Amino acid sequence: MHKVKPELRVVFTLLMLFFAGFLFLPLLVLLIRSLETGEGFSFANYAAVWEGRDLIEAVSNSVKVSAAAAVIATVLGFVLAYSIHCTRIFRPVKGVLKTAVLVPMLLPTITYGFAIMYSLGNQGLITKLIGRNLFEIYGFNGLLTGYVIYTLPPAFLLIHNAFGYIDKKFIIVSKLMGDGTARSFFHAVLRPLAGALGGAFVLAFILSFTDFGIPASVGGTYPVIAAQLYQVMLGSIPDFNQGAVIAVVMLVPAAFGIWLLRYLDKFNFHYDKISAIELPKHRVRDTGLGVLSSVIVTGMLSVFAVMFAAPFMNGFPYDTAFTLKHVNGVFASGDLTGVYKNSLWVALLTSLLGTLAAYGAALLNVRTKLKAKGATDVVSMITNTVPGMVLGIAYLLLFNGSSLKGTFAILVLCNIVHLFTTPYLMAKNALSKMNPSWETTGELLGDSWFKTVYRVVLPNSASAIIEMFAYYFVNSMVTISGIIFLVSAQTSVVASKIKELQHFAKFNEIFVLSLLIFFTNLLIKAACDWMQRRRAVR
Amino acid sequence: MLKLQHIGKQFDGKTVLDDISFEIGTGEIMSLLGPSGSGKTTLLHLILGLTGADRGSIRFGDEDLTRVPMKKRGFNIVFQDYALFPNLNAYDNILYGLRNKKGRVNAAEVQEYIDFLELAPHLNKNIGELSGGQKQRVALARTLVTKPRLLLLDEPLSALDGVIKESIKQRLQSIAREFRLTTVIVTHDPEEALTMSDKILIINQGRIAQFGTPQDIIDRPADEFVEQFIIKQLSIKRQNILNLFGEMYA
Repeated sequence: MHKVKPELRVVFTLLMLFFAGFLFLPLLVLLIRSLETGEGFSFANYAAVWEGRDLIEAVSNSVKVSAAAAVIATVLGFVLAYSIHCTRIFRPVKGVLKTAVLVPMLLPTITYGFAIMYSLGNQGLITKLIGRNLFEIYGFNGLLTGYVIYTLPPAFLLIHNAFGYIDKKFIIVSKLMGDGTARSFFHAVLRPLAGALGGAFVLAFILSFTDFGIPASVGGTYPVIAAQLYQVMLGSIPDFNQGAVIAVVMLVPAAFGIWLLRYLDKFNFHYDKISAIELPKHRVRDTGLGVLSSVIVTGMLSVFAVMFAAPFMNGFPYDTAFTLKHVNGVFASGDLTGVYKNSLWVALLTSLLGTLAAYGAALLNVRTKLKAKGATDVVSMITNTVPGMVLGIAYLLLFNGSSLKGTFAILVLCNIVHLFTTPYLMAKNALSKMNPSWETTGELLGDSWFKTVYRVVLPNSASAIIEMFAYYFVNSMVTISGIIFLVSAQTSVVASKIKELQHFAKFNEIFVLSLLIFFTNLLIKAACDWMQRRRAVR
Repeated sequence: MLKLQHIGKQFDGKTVLDDISFEIGTGEIMSLLGPSGSGKTTLLHLILGLTGADRGSIRFGDEDLTRVPMKKRGFNIVFQDYALFPNLNAYDNILYGLRNKKGRVNAAEVQEYIDFLELAPHLNKNIGELSGGQKQRVALARTLVTKPRLLLLDEPLSALDGVIKESIKQRLQSIAREFRLTTVIVTHDPEEALTMSDKILIINQGRIAQFGTPQDIIDRPADEFVEQFIIKQLSIKRQNILNLFGEMYA
């Protein structure tokens, strides 16, 4: 009677074995290593790290700067989302704001730091334009600036999406009931968005707390946990057990944050029906927020302006004559074009295999009656919780002596697991909206389950699959925290090469490579968006 | 001939169907009538083979189908939401099953179904471009070209408005007569059941309240429930029409 086919059980088992081997086992090894000492197992490593005080200072600094960045990113993200949803700003301007705010997502975070240095440093582009230093960029201020730029796009996206579920009719009802501006704003906008605003703060905090790229470039002498972890693992005297302790410590706030995100979701309002209504014009509000939003986005993007200018100058900032020698130099260097090819190769394999894994897991979860199908949700929750650096270290500890060490395969596997949650949720969302009777209908018309999936479910998921592919590709190109411990001389990718070039102060090469990543990502995003639109038109 | 004997079904310890027995002849239309949650859709899925029975037997002609998987029963269904495939146009939806059942239906027969259901002008349309009634007919054609031995229809009229509803009703009756196709229809509307069916099975809380012809049910309602659920609803409707139009339309 409409039983689950044995083939499905085989696919499900293979998928679970994959996650057992590349998610659960590495994390288990990480935990064991954090407890391992020369004389057996104990909390001695934790005690040693605690007594050293360095970690406590780093954690405390990380919390401070991440919390400050999260508050600023949430406020700015809210202003942008509010301007887009609750004003009558000229529509094309809204479109530009919406797209422009997402630009930083196409770049590795390590590039942000160098862009900050070249924009806001002593000889930076913005410093020169303003005529003075805005602030000391190394340490807290640089980290804060970098984290805000890094977390503003995701914080904005979260609030922007939540605004889509807010019925603006209530703003009008509140006004008609005689509410003043403040009361109306609180009841009809802030309160329904409370969950999303809390969520944006937590998300921005976790991202900042676990990022490695920004401290690697502008951290200066201000120690944060990610830099501490890198130092312990790959410094002059590597200490893997102590590294495992720091990774576990890093995991705790991340896990708490994810729990908090789920909890905060309860505070979001869910209206039964959303009215397609536009608020009346209000000249002061529209002009004010239009200007404010433009200033936020321009300010954020201005930091990156130097990236597009410096590589085309003889020697920024002293000799600004136009030249292509830096660009030509990168293309002539087999080493640098090699890492770019490596990045492309890793991103392509990650996006193909990652999309397959995430789609397969979502398909088994949503469209079958497998008893243990909830396990894919557990996997997705864990991959969402584990920061890239922690997963990277776990892989390093588990696969150090294996044939996987120093291969492209380990980078691809790490990326697939690290980035799994979002594409999985994209697929789940798309598949659960599809007619639940398709498989039964296909079977009654003579198809096997797999054949119905191939002939019906897959073609109708095309848009989601394209989106998943783009997500995996773009994020594989920019991620550094997940793979920094796993790259070898042969498998170095652009993001890790940038870290290496930093030691030789080769900033022009860094910017050219960053531009290569940026334009590649832009191209992939544009192609995927075009394909999605084409399918939507059909 | 479809024959169910002493069918019982539980979900999570709760009895959904209890001791269901009935028999319908070839080419007959039977409506499964009952309020929401009475178990009629579960019974439909049980006949289809989508769900297994805990007790009892299902026979079709001489065959015992109780343990036969859905795919091998030779029955087919039109779901309430039609389950049309949006990546294919109307024509490709109709032909979908033929790839797996080569030789069973020839091109002339497919055309006959298309003409019968007046679908010729809509064949190249995408599913999103079809009206509710057109979607219903495409789903019917897709099912009929596979030549099922038994046609199951889950609330076939619930998503349709007035005039289209009447036209589809007549068409369903014609299909059963023309192709001598035994048909089981799930509905919660007494008027639909009484005007379309040869037999009606009324279910209440998983048990048979009454099984008989429409005339039997009107003349001799088995109990208080049938009286309230069927006769009273129809009397109210009749009274409303009388109030609006007078005797002329009653």
